[in-house]
Formats: sequence, C-alpha cells, structure tokens
Amino acid sequence: MTLTERGRVTAIANHQLPEAAFSELAEGDGGPATMRRLGEAQLSKHLMLLQAIAEAATGPGPGPVAFQVGYERLARIQAAVPAAADWLLGLPHLGGWIHDTLIRLDQGSAADFGHFASLVAATAIRAGLPVDLDVPVRGGRVRLPGLGSLLVTRSVADAESAWIRLRCDGQVVTVGGLAIAAGRLVPDDGTQDPVPGWRGTPAVRSVGGGLAWTVLLETGDPYLDRYTLPMRTTMPSEELADWRQRIRAAWQVVADRHRWAAEPLAEVISVIVPLTPQSDTDLVSATTPAAYGAFAASWPPDPVTLAETLVHEFQHVKLCGLLDLVPLIRSGDQRVYAPWRQDPRPARGLLQGVYAHLGIVRFWQAQQYAETDPDGLLRAQVLFARWRPAIEQAVATLRQTGSLTPAGARFAERLQAQGQRLASVSVPPEAARIAAEVALDHRLTWELRHVAVEEADAAGLAAAYRRGDAGPGQARTWVSQDVRKVDASLRSRLLNLRYLDPARYRELRGGSGILPLGGPDRLLLERRSEDAVRAYRTVIAGSADPQPDAWIGLALALHQLPPSPLQHPLATRLALMFEVHARLASSSDPLDLVSWFT
Amino acid sequence: MTSQEKDIETLIPDLRDLPVGRLAELGSSALAQSIALYRERLRENGIPLSSFQARI
Repeated sequence: MTLTERGRVTAIANHQLPEAAFSELAEGDGGPATMRRLGEAQLSKHLMLLQAIAEAATGPGPGPVAFQVGYERLARIQAAVPAAADWLLGLPHLGGWIHDTLIRLDQGSAADFGHFASLVAATAIRAGLPVDLDVPVRGGRVRLPGLGSLLVTRSVADAESAWIRLRCDGQVVTVGGLAIAAGRLVPDDGTQDPVPGWRGTPAVRSVGGGLAWTVLLETGDPYLDRYTLPMRTTMPSEELADWRQRIRAAWQVVADRHRWAAEPLAEVISVIVPLTPQSDTDLVSATTPAAYGAFAASWPPDPVTLAETLVHEFQHVKLCGLLDLVPLIRSGDQRVYAPWRQDPRPARGLLQGVYAHLGIVRFWQAQQYAETDPDGLLRAQVLFARWRPAIEQAVATLRQTGSLTPAGARFAERLQAQGQRLASVSVPPEAARIAAEVALDHRLTWELRHVAVEEADAAGLAAAYRRGDAGPGQARTWVSQDVRKVDASLRSRLLNLRYLDPARYRELRGGSGILPLGGPDRLLLERRSEDAVRAYRTVIAGSADPQPDAWIGLALALHQLPPSPLQHPLATRLALMFEVHARLASSSDPLDLVSWFT
Repeated sequence: MTSQEKDIETLIPDLRDLPVGRLAELGSSALAQSIALYRERLRENGIPLSSFQARI
C-alpha cells in the first residue's frame, strides 16, 4: 500500500505475507492465492529495480535514450491497459535482463540499457497499443521478448550494433521493410501459418485432467541463457515436435496425478529454457532467482522424468519467490553435505535442495500408486524411499549450520514435519534396501572426496593403533572440496541403474551375468557380499597406494550382510579410518582397523 | 492473535498502486533502502551474468 498526502507519496509500505501463506509454502504447497501474492511481489520487485536502472540510464548515448523512451512508453501503456504492463513486469525475460543490468552496473561496466526498448515494444504489440521507438538489432533480428523476433533488412542487419525504428499503430507493426499485422506477431504454438520475417518463440499448449498450461520454449533470448549448461539456441522442427510431445505427456502426468502441484505450476511457470545436453542420459535442470517463472532443462528421457522435473523446479521457483520476500538464511561460507549433490553446498543451496526434494518425495509417493509396469513401480518406490529420509537429514544439517533466520527456523520446522508425515508410507523391503544402499554409497563417496582430516590427528591414531592402545580418540575433520580423488562412478551408476532403468541393467547383466565391472565391484552388484568383503579387503591390504573406492565398496559390502558392529564406524568415520590406514604398513588388514574403531 | 499469526512484513515495497509515471517522478530515493538491500543480496548470492553478457 502506498500512503499519499495531497497527491504526494509520503511512504511506501512493503508487501505483507500472511502467516498462513508462509506456512503453506513451508509445507511445499501454495495455492492460487499464495501464488498470486508471490507474483504480485515480483511485479513490485521488477518495478523497484527498473527505477534503480532508470537512475543509472542517463546521458545521451543510444542505449540510455532508448531506455528512457521505453520507460516513458511503459508508463503510457500502463495507463491505457494496466494488464499489459503487468504482463511485462511478470515476464521472466525482464527479470533476466534486469539482473544482468544491475550486475553490470555493480561491476562498473557497460549495461545493455537499449534492450528495454525491445521489451516495451513487445508489450505494446501484444496489447495492440500504439508505440514508436528505436530498438536494437542483434544478429539481424529485432527481438520481441516473450513473443519472438523479426528478421530485418540485410543492410540494417549487417551493421555491427544497429538500431531501427519500430512503429505500431495498434494494428500494424512496421520495422525496416516489414509491415505485419500486430496480431500475427505471436508465439508459435504450431497451429499458425508461417509469417514472412517473423519467428515466433515456440510455445506449447497442454491440456491434462481438464487443466490447461501454456509455456514458451525459449531458445532465442540471451538474457535467459544463464544456466549451468548453454541454452539450445537452434531447434530443428523435428526436435521441437519431440519437445512439444514430451511436455504434453509430462503435463498429463502432473495434471492427472499431482494436482497439488499442477494448478499453481500452471499459474507460475511460463518459460522452459531447453539446454544443450551434457550427455545422452543425464537430465540437467536448473532455476535462477533472476528469472521467476522460468526454469531450464535438457532433453528429458521420458515423460515421468520430465513430470518430476516440473515439480522439482517449480519448488525452486516458489522458494526463490519467497526468498525475495523473507530472508530465511544468513549468508555464510560454511559448506555441508547435501544428499543429492556431489559437491559441498552452502546453507542456501541446501535449503533450496531440501525444498525441491520435498516436492520430489511427494511426487514419487503418489507415483507409486500410478505406476502399473513393474520397472516403473520399482523406480517410484526406490526414489520415494531414497529421498524421504533425506528431508530430515538435510533439515538437521541446516540447523547445525546456524544459518537459519528465525523465519528460516520456522520454515525448516514445517518442512521437516511435512517430510515426517510421509514416513508412514512404506515400500517393499527390496526397494528400501536399494534406496538405503545408494544413499550410503552417495554419502560415503562424498565424505571421502570432501572431508579432510587433521594430519597430526590421523598420525596420532595410526601410532596408537600400532601400539595396540584401546579404542581411538577424536580427530579434527572439516569439509574441503576435493581433498581426495575417488573413482567409483561406474559402480555408483550401476547401483543406481538397478532402479532408474532396470531393463538396461538386466541387459548389461545379459545372459552371461557379467557386468562391466572388475572383481570386487561385480561381486558387490551380484550381492555375493562375503566374497565382496574379502575381495575389497585384499585390494586395500595388498596395495601400496590408498584405495578410496575400495574402502567405499568394503563399507557397502559389509552393509549387505546382517547387522554387525563393523558397520557403524564405516558409515560414520570412513574418511578418518582411510587416513589412519594410509599411515600404516601397506599390508595392514582394513577390517582389523575397523574393529579398533568400534 | 499470536505473534506467529500476524502478517509477515516482507522486504519488497508494495508498488501495485503506484503508476510507473509516478514512480519515475518519485525517483529511487523513496526506494533507496529496499534497492540497496536487494542489490546487497544479489552480490551475496553471486547470481551470475547470462552467458551472453559474460562473453562481452
């Protein structure tokens, strides 16, 4: 609310968030009313930041002038059709550009002020309103973010950094040699005839369970090329057809079976940025706080995986919206274990991860009742059992960091309670066993990679062990990225392949039952656990070099056997035992050392 | 009403009722504190530039 006195603004109040909306979000939910609140706050945020940019976009250059003209035109557009301005203020493309501009200004380097004219031109054209302004030409095109791009004349396109006059009388857009009806400059949903000179941003309209969702597949906006992998900037028609088909199939899954997520997702997510894949098999997805309403993903291998990704990334988007409003985490340098990441994470990243995984757990919980094929059912059961305990584990880690603000502590409490409510859902023993094993493998691999041990403490314990002293004392440890190299990725991939792609796993085992692994690892995968323990023990004791991957294998193999006192130290102090053993004679029996740690 | 039932005061100024034209007249001074806070968080969070801008 804005307080005014005789038309003069005297104070600007901040957005208020009802406690009930905060609780809804903390529990992983958020109905349409809460989503509207987050969306309205984004509009205010973008207005506020535009004003910050306006203060900097001064001077006579074409960029600042184009910004100033665009800002003035936006005021007119808003006065005529407020909803048209709201469309722009809620556009992820605007967020991407605003954040780049602010970062550039902070760096003291040149900002691309002129791009704002393109954003305003798109707004006017979309609303059928008159506009007349200079817009930049890049790569031979005038970009109209959220709609598409115009191919302008060659002479203009050839210029290094060109500007061109764009006019719209509300009906027809003229730019360079083109004159096109404004109503035809729309995203390409695959149903329209081609328009010469126009490339509409690909759009996908999906309907499932009576719920419609339209999303742009953005391949052209450079300000949304801001994720861990490069944006897919060209998309042949066959590939676009595949994406459309996959998104529609995924939406069917979400709308039919995950209604709690579907309705708010359809309201918030307006852009998917396809990423250039890193490999043929791994789906990579990401969200940025700079572009509320957008997320990025590489090609998803199947509709259910994309459906899970929609839920996963939507959780991140919601949390980004909430974090803009309410600080939940204090800044800090501490890095900790996140059960879904290979690298140590800051508390902020862990909070994002655990919130996304609350959505993932709910997804696989419901998916267990939807899958009819045994392989799909096993995947759903294992993924549910894999991630549900991770919620509590990660919340406990978050608390230990001491980084949570009071609001963050309340948020974490509700998040954890929601995770605990799902603890009553049971899965078959085989699924639970696989989930526990891959969780242990992940944590131990992370620990050996990133947990450093104080040299003097490890040496002291090695001396105590050699002397035959009773039990080990304490040792100082801390998290430090990549302190050791661990090369067990093939084993880990195969452990996960058992439920992620059981058919492929069976194929690898083949008629001969031979997996593409060496001795001890193959025994582990075949659950010849005692043989695997012996084999890992021999590798560790018989090698002059440290064998971190064999230590992890030893721990996994021992956990396949009935409960024993050896399991606990291997699960909790592996990095320390590894370092102590490295200081003993090379033939030292690792299990004897483990016994000493019990 | 307990303290936990009260609305939460957020960090973002509510500009819904303020037209862009008025905002421009007002300048950033009325928003200076909120803008500074946001930019500080932006720096803390280390949000990277787009690949396009990073190449420039």
